[in-house]
Amino acid sequence: MTLAQPAVHATRPKHSLIFAACIAAGATFAAGCAGTPEPTEQLVAARQALTAAEQAQAVEHAADLMTESRTKLGLAEAAVRDDEMERAARLADEARIDAELATAQAAAMKAEAVNDEMRRSNETLLKEMQRQNGAGGTR
Amino acid sequence: MNTFTRNPGTFVRLAAVASSGLLLAACASSPTAPAGAAAVRAELTRLQSDSQLATRAPKAIHDAEVAVAAAERPERGDADADAAHRVYMAERKVALARALATARLAEDQRPQLAQQRDEARLTARTEEAVAARDEAMTARAATTVAQQESIDLQREIDALRARPTDKGLVLTLGDVLFTTGRADLKQGALADVDRLVAFLNKYPDRTVTIEGHTDSVGSAASNETLSHNRADAVQSYLMQRGIDASRIQTRGMGETVTVASNATPGGRQQNRRVEIIVSNPQSPVGTM
Repeated sequence: MTLAQPAVHATRPKHSLIFAACIAAGATFAAGCAGTPEPTEQLVAARQALTAAEQAQAVEHAADLMTESRTKLGLAEAAVRDDEMERAARLADEARIDAELATAQAAAMKAEAVNDEMRRSNETLLKEMQRQNGAGGTR
Repeated sequence: MNTFTRNPGTFVRLAAVASSGLLLAACASSPTAPAGAAAVRAELTRLQSDSQLATRAPKAIHDAEVAVAAAERPERGDADADAAHRVYMAERKVALARALATARLAEDQRPQLAQQRDEARLTARTEEAVAARDEAMTARAATTVAQQESIDLQREIDALRARPTDKGLVLTLGDVLFTTGRADLKQGALADVDRLVAFLNKYPDRTVTIEGHTDSVGSAASNETLSHNRADAVQSYLMQRGIDASRIQTRGMGETVTVASNATPGGRQQNRRVEIIVSNPQSPVGTM
């Protein structure tokens, strides 16, 4: 097998070896092979999602989600330092979805608040008219 | 950097052993969906069957569907952190889809709300215009009524054949009302008095003074009594017709006030009369 090859080779072929072995053991368990690299993309995506949520002032409407997202991002970064890349990837994904959800919920609440205000003002207008009509149209 | 790159052989062997062990474990126990997956599926189904929301975030709902399906994959054992992660992601993606659809729904409803607002404002303005018009019409109608009332009054005064004087309206009932020397009213001449009754009923703030007059035939004393009696006869008639006594005064003037010469039969006839003076209320009606 390729294991016989010298260890001085570049890391790339070694990755291939590892993945080949993993596939042999079971394709679905490939991630379990501890051969996962640092989840750079997920971390970047999580940070971007958090920044976007902050800019959308999601903290006003979804403070808990924002806290959760920040905590998880911190844990993901810690996991990277601890070399727990799978855990880091999961935490980064969760931090990202929490931030995205915070943004979306804040947007939904704002949109509904606008509509509620419109409904209220329409009702007030109608009530005012009915009141005037009830008073015989006199002002 | 990654530790395993320094010692790949060990890792490969470990991985192979670990994964085959786990695979065996997975095969040994019957595959079950991770805890919480069912609840997430239920939440997704709830969203998908919401007619208002289901169509409003198709991509997010599709993503949620994929995530829920992933969450439902059987666990590979108690220590399967990834199973819990998949359930978490699925739950969040369903919530995300719901939030996006909710925001979209609110935006889609907005034009209708704006239209309702515009309609309400338009109606309000129309109502105001209608109210203003009604007010103007009412004011005009009030003016018309006031004018009509004064026209009516003048017409009624005219109908009384009353003469406007400084004292008020003076209605003269000729001697044809009375048989010579008698004080009872003749039936045929009551129409004038009846018009007066109608007038007094319509204008309750007016009072009347009834003055009896005679010609110079007979003694002054008897003429005074006769004039009194004639005035009283008219008063009785008015009271019979429902005019309150407090509104009526009577005076017997005898032969003292003449309107024509007593030397001729025609003059004497004119002097035999009852004058009814209708008081002016606040404004002198007679000068109208």
